[in-house]
Amino acid sequence: MAKIELTRNTSIKNALISRYPQLAVFVVMLMGYIFAILAGLVGTPVGSHNFIIVFVWIAWWAILILVAVPFFGRGWCAVCPIPLPGEWLQRGAVLNPPEKKPKWFNLRWPKALRNIWLQNISFLLLALFSSVLLTTPNITGIVLAGMLFAAIGLSTIFERRAFCRYLCPVGGFIGLYSQTAPIELRIKDKQVCATCEGKPCYNGSTNGYGCPWDVFPGGLTKNTYCGLCMECLRTCPHDNIAVNMRPFSADLAKPSTRMDEAFKAFIMLGSAMIYAGVLLGPWGVLKDAAYNVGTSAWFIYAAVFLSIIFLVMPSFFALCVTRFENLNIFKKRFATLSAALIPLGLMFWVAFSLSFVLTNASYILASLSDPLGLGWNLFGTAQTTWQPMLTTILAPGQTLALVGGLIWSARTAQKAANEAKVSAIPVIGYCLIVTAVMLWLLL
Amino acid sequence: MKRSELLSRILITAGMLLAVGTPLFFWTQTPLIHARMAENGGWNPDVIQAEVGNPLHLRLTSDDVMHGFSVGQMKMDAVDVEPGKVTDVTLTFDKPGIYTFFCTRWCGVNHWRMRGTIEVSGPGANPEPAPTIPLYVTLGFDLDAPHESPVIPSNQPSAVRGQQLATNLEMSKFSNPDFYRTNSPYQLFEALSSTNLSDLEKWDVVSYIWQSNTTPKALTNGRDLYAQNCAACHGENGGGDGVFADDLAKAGEASMESMTGATDMLMQTPVDFTDSKRILGAAPALLQGKILRGGMGTGMPMWGSIFTEEQIWDLVAYLYSFQFDYQGEAQ
Amino acid sequence: MAGLAVAFAPLPVQPIRPQERTFQIEARQFAYSPSELNVNPGDTITIRLISTDVVHGLYVDGYDVSVEADPGQTATLTFTATKPGSFRFRCNITCGAMHPFMIGKLTVGANDWLFRSAGLAMVAVLGIVILVKRS
Repeated sequence: MAKIELTRNTSIKNALISRYPQLAVFVVMLMGYIFAILAGLVGTPVGSHNFIIVFVWIAWWAILILVAVPFFGRGWCAVCPIPLPGEWLQRGAVLNPPEKKPKWFNLRWPKALRNIWLQNISFLLLALFSSVLLTTPNITGIVLAGMLFAAIGLSTIFERRAFCRYLCPVGGFIGLYSQTAPIELRIKDKQVCATCEGKPCYNGSTNGYGCPWDVFPGGLTKNTYCGLCMECLRTCPHDNIAVNMRPFSADLAKPSTRMDEAFKAFIMLGSAMIYAGVLLGPWGVLKDAAYNVGTSAWFIYAAVFLSIIFLVMPSFFALCVTRFENLNIFKKRFATLSAALIPLGLMFWVAFSLSFVLTNASYILASLSDPLGLGWNLFGTAQTTWQPMLTTILAPGQTLALVGGLIWSARTAQKAANEAKVSAIPVIGYCLIVTAVMLWLLL
Repeated sequence: MKRSELLSRILITAGMLLAVGTPLFFWTQTPLIHARMAENGGWNPDVIQAEVGNPLHLRLTSDDVMHGFSVGQMKMDAVDVEPGKVTDVTLTFDKPGIYTFFCTRWCGVNHWRMRGTIEVSGPGANPEPAPTIPLYVTLGFDLDAPHESPVIPSNQPSAVRGQQLATNLEMSKFSNPDFYRTNSPYQLFEALSSTNLSDLEKWDVVSYIWQSNTTPKALTNGRDLYAQNCAACHGENGGGDGVFADDLAKAGEASMESMTGATDMLMQTPVDFTDSKRILGAAPALLQGKILRGGMGTGMPMWGSIFTEEQIWDLVAYLYSFQFDYQGEAQ
Repeated sequence: MAGLAVAFAPLPVQPIRPQERTFQIEARQFAYSPSELNVNPGDTITIRLISTDVVHGLYVDGYDVSVEADPGQTATLTFTATKPGSFRFRCNITCGAMHPFMIGKLTVGANDWLFRSAGLAMVAVLGIVILVKRS
């Protein structure tokens, strides 16, 4: 399957370039986000009946991990409301660039932090507190509000979308997984960029702003850091930017050699397995440890969690990266081969999420009618009883996702190993073993 | 500024005000009564005002686990108060006074402490009828004194056998409620010493007399009251081994450690109704008194404001069925 | 082909006479004890649910049967294990924060699906490894 340029269709192109459709989506998203925060803070403390828990951790999460990421890569980033208030402040406008730009600091993000380690840490922080976070409305409310204020604060100090690019816990993993997606934004012709003066795609123009993701569109070869905000579509004077449909995981043909991304893959793979065991397993003592933050049991849980992710899984993987000559080459090889864990991790999360989403989706109907637990019945569905949905497809769906993911990761390992000139077999064996463990945890 | 920019800003601002204002506004307009486990605060608010004749509309929600709501000494069906959902209840009072509302679904070891009051004002306040004096007070029973029966039956007494035995005996003196309420089974056993029945046969007669002082309907009522209110501590089979018995014992040990100078610490473990020595030495009025008054520092609740007299007598009658075989009675 | 065989070939089943099995399960915030049950296909299962702190429920995935119990009132659920495989049972009365994760596991017969899936995974990997070797 070759590339299909979607923006060749003028309706699609105009819809993406025009700021109005995007603004409409933004307003709805931001209203929903703020409503959710309020619901979390003043609504019922019972998570399953509060809009914030139901619509963030069930509805939004389901759409994110089952649809948005696999099919649209960073598609969520394109509509996410978190950067918006800060960005509007930073830009001094909500539509096209104003004549007089506001004077914010617009500092460059510090060089030492120009990686995804902060995002690795922020995701892990949420993960370690996840049992409390996923079940407690006011905690999720505080976290969502915190992210909003952090984004606003960072926008007044640093240039572009500093929160999104370097801090957001969600952006960390959807960036990594967006490499598997079947859509991309790329330039059409390299020569055009070579002779372009001013590079408005990066520096902005009267039609739009320079890339908020601190990416030079002319050099985009992977989806990882492009947030699909469409600014470059607006600023490029040569109509050299296209949104294409392409084969799945095209980006993984040239795997990244960065360690921060490699460890992101382990963080995601490991946490999916730990969540499957702790949250969906029958072992009450693990759930107690995960929930009772601050107790010694929780500290042990956190220590085990972190050592699985930073010690156990990477060390075994390192054994599969055969042939050690010198550290630098080894690190590159390690990172390259860890690309195999990207499609695997995505499918692990799909399989895990299918379970709790299908089990609890019925709460969505009730929460639509009574989002705050105040006794409303807006759409008549407030009394919907909890009932797991589509349970017959769950096990087959999980098997399909996991075995499919395994095949996908084996193929990725094969291609990456070719690049690194080593055998793919140990890495494929590793993938098989973790897949077997995940199958056992979920089925 | 261009018009499109201005309009967009207005749209955004309006949207945000809506998103913030709507939940806040409706939240302030919706007074709810929040139910929480006693450890988390219990009922909030826990005092409600009402007027005689004016229907009182209450909206109840639970903030944690399954709770229930009912008002003591009133004829009403309890309603469930579910987590995250709102239950509507309308109450009408025809007499003023202070009513107790309470949780009706077990929500932890301190479930019984989840109580509040409804202060009903209105005509008919004066004169208040004199409160009935409980029988144990009139009789001068010391509820906390031990009441061991010196003799206990070798086997479980049977009311059916007792009935057959009693046909030859003069039982009218014992079959009236006054005798039944004021005497313990052991005292009736003693009163039968003039007969030439064996010990077990005498106990059979006692059990028959005890059964004749109640009805199958009352025993069923008592059984249901016991299951809903007592079994969690006292055990589903009356053995003092309910699911909270361990927690209560631990609480007892803890408070024993902190009390200074207390020698006769009251037992914190729930009473075992299968303990013949204790129960056969207890008169119905004594048991009624314990239920009315509660346990003075133990985990035993006081039920005086919750149960009607009839309910407590039914419950007391049922308690003896842990001792006696009331064949035909729903066990 | 091998994949299809693994996925759908009937496994040899030792016919075991169905029995009546009774389990006493204690429920607390937020776990069941015992939390893993094993029965044979066709067994009649009776679960006596004892809640030890607040009102809990027990709902069996796949069988869509449930029961709820107040502390002090043991509740009974009886059903026949006609469907083989692994089924989670979970609490269906909101009982606190971790309620959605209050889970146990019922296995009827062998966890066929897990074995087949693991088999499929191995067949898939074998296939790819062969392809890798060949190229």
